[in-house]
Amino acid sequence: MSTSEPPSYAANIPSDPVTKTTSTVHVELTPDTLSTDAATRFVRSPSAGATVLFIGTTRDSFNDLPVSSLSYTSYTPLAISTLYAIATCMLEKHSLAKIAIVHKLGECPIGEESIVIAVSAPHRQAAWRAGEEALEETKKRAEIWKLERFEGGEGVWRANRDGAAGVKVDEGEEG
Amino acid sequence: MASGQVPSGCFSILYFAAASTFTSKASEFLPAPLDARSLFTTLEERYPGITAKVLSSCAVTVNLEYVDMDANADDGGDVSCVIKEGDEVAIIPPVSSG
Repeated sequence: MSTSEPPSYAANIPSDPVTKTTSTVHVELTPDTLSTDAATRFVRSPSAGATVLFIGTTRDSFNDLPVSSLSYTSYTPLAISTLYAIATCMLEKHSLAKIAIVHKLGECPIGEESIVIAVSAPHRQAAWRAGEEALEETKKRAEIWKLERFEGGEGVWRANRDGAAGVKVDEGEEG
Repeated sequence: MASGQVPSGCFSILYFAAASTFTSKASEFLPAPLDARSLFTTLEERYPGITAKVLSSCAVTVNLEYVDMDANADDGGDVSCVIKEGDEVAIIPPVSSG
């Protein structure tokens, strides 16, 4: 049973952050540790009375099974384009001042940040709503995949849409 | 992305997550042109069992645009999609960010 990624897996992890940024939108996929400060600073605006920061961190279990490690891969050019589309949609729909969506790629130690979303708006209601919707849309649509490895070695590609156990890594024909 | 120069007469195909695990590859080159409707059949011939285990829950992009793999001539869907030489095709399993 193979429990590590195929050797080619690392090729999908950029060595430097990939970003798309305007004066009001920042989306980023990065192999580096996420900075909640940087995301919060980006959305700071004199027109905003409210900033909402969401920090997603990696859990140490799935359905009570202990998870030993996690890593994320992505179809980076498409995922950046999807994140940008989500961000600009949120900006307009909720009349935000600014929005930042940053996601981790590669190994993500348990308990560390895997996603940071910061939004700023004139008032708190829009900021709360936009922060939640941005996260749900990202989880639903962004072309990013999580590989969970359980203690004992088994690896599973998670799928957000159904909460199912996902596809075991050893189910490949040569796995 | 992973492919660099695509050999003449070929398109590149990228495999992510479960698709990468099943094929034991991140990418490869396949002969072009290929009718998009024949893509899953072609992959099934190369990787027996991949349709049921992986592809049935996957989406497909061609040059970063999603194509409708369920479309067929009967319902007037996206029947004219031909994968051409140099195209970048990707198999997109259900996503799991966050």
